[in-house]
Amino acid sequence: MKLRQEDGAANYEYVTARIRSRRASLFDESDYRKLVRMGPDEIARFMEESEYEREMNALGSRFSGVDLIEYALNENLGKHFDDVLNWTDGEPYGYLARYLRKFDAWNVKTALRGIYSESPPTEIDDDLIEAGELSDDLLGQLVEADSIESAVELLAGTLFSDVLADAYELYEESGILVPLENAIDRAYYTNLYAGLPSDPSRAEELYVEFVEAEIDFRNLRNALRITLSGADIDPAEFCISGGRLFDETELRQLANNPDELVARVRSSTYGEELEDGLDELDDAQDLVAFERALEVALLEYSDTLSSRYPLSVCPVLAYVLAKEREVDNIRAIARGREAGLGPDEIETELVIT
Amino acid sequence: MFDIATTLFSSIALLLQSGSEAAASTAAIPPKAGAALAVGLAAFGAGYAERGIGAAAVGAIAEDEDMFGRGLILTVLPETLVIFALVITFTI
Repeated sequence: MKLRQEDGAANYEYVTARIRSRRASLFDESDYRKLVRMGPDEIARFMEESEYEREMNALGSRFSGVDLIEYALNENLGKHFDDVLNWTDGEPYGYLARYLRKFDAWNVKTALRGIYSESPPTEIDDDLIEAGELSDDLLGQLVEADSIESAVELLAGTLFSDVLADAYELYEESGILVPLENAIDRAYYTNLYAGLPSDPSRAEELYVEFVEAEIDFRNLRNALRITLSGADIDPAEFCISGGRLFDETELRQLANNPDELVARVRSSTYGEELEDGLDELDDAQDLVAFERALEVALLEYSDTLSSRYPLSVCPVLAYVLAKEREVDNIRAIARGREAGLGPDEIETELVIT
Repeated sequence: MFDIATTLFSSIALLLQSGSEAAASTAAIPPKAGAALAVGLAAFGAGYAERGIGAAAVGAIAEDEDMFGRGLILTVLPETLVIFALVITFTI
């Protein structure tokens, strides 16, 4: 995908109409209920008769079983997001392109991890999602790179070049990937915020609200993971700035005290959406269930935002989130069935709104 | 878009003023000109409304061809404004 200039007038009406149609054709609860009771081959057949028909047919001769499902899912995800970018013009295009760089961040992280663990290039390539801004050529070179250093050099000129150059020194000192991964995430979130007009219109305000919610949820998840695992890590190191819920210093204080952290979230704007998840967390200290509740809450919050002001970029971003969740869910089902998990066990792993 | 609308309205205001100066005892502008304005402005408003609806309708049709009939009807709904305005022309 090559990014073009943002020009032309915003065409929110056209884009939201198409997006809402696609949103409606995502799998719903009853589809998932059927899927968790199927074996991998049945899932493949089910997908062939749905939205994924084209990808399943195109890849069917080369792969089979769960691999086929996974490739088809990734391919379909990339196709849909490219489509959306093709339709949008003007202002929403800029926001969306910025948001979809999340896949660039994902791809770069995957490539770095692959190189670090010395996986063969074809294996790394399988896990990439072709939905970001980085060209296929560059990604190809990236997975072929023989060291982290040459991979970092290849990324010169992209969004990540500056931060990666700094983080590379830290990596050389410590020999672990964490600084590089954090740098990539930070670069992505900083870019989301960059260049917003100082006097936002209603549509822009909602974009900001959406981004803030996502950052908040991410911070919250990191903080809870650190607190509940009892690891001796400074939570501020993983804090992404820009959220509404808390900043670095607050996070550092709250991370030592899970009860206070939960109370804080309960009284925040997200309290209502997260209520069930928080209760569950209080009762069982079950982090996995809470993280799923977080995902559901974010999906619901993005839906609320998109119906509050339909002519904004929010419905599109909500669709991107929902589509991602769908792909994750189907993958979880297919992999779970392959591993012999029962329907109930798999159902607890799904994120369904 | 709104710039065009405001210039249009300010020019109409001028028109009304000059009309009233010329003949204070009679109508502000000639009845036929008034009717023409009514139809013109209604058509302008209808066009503006159809712009958004049309874009959304084409989007919906692109995803699902069955939406063609419904999309078409919704797109021309604002056209009723022009019909109401045409009624005005028969009252003079």
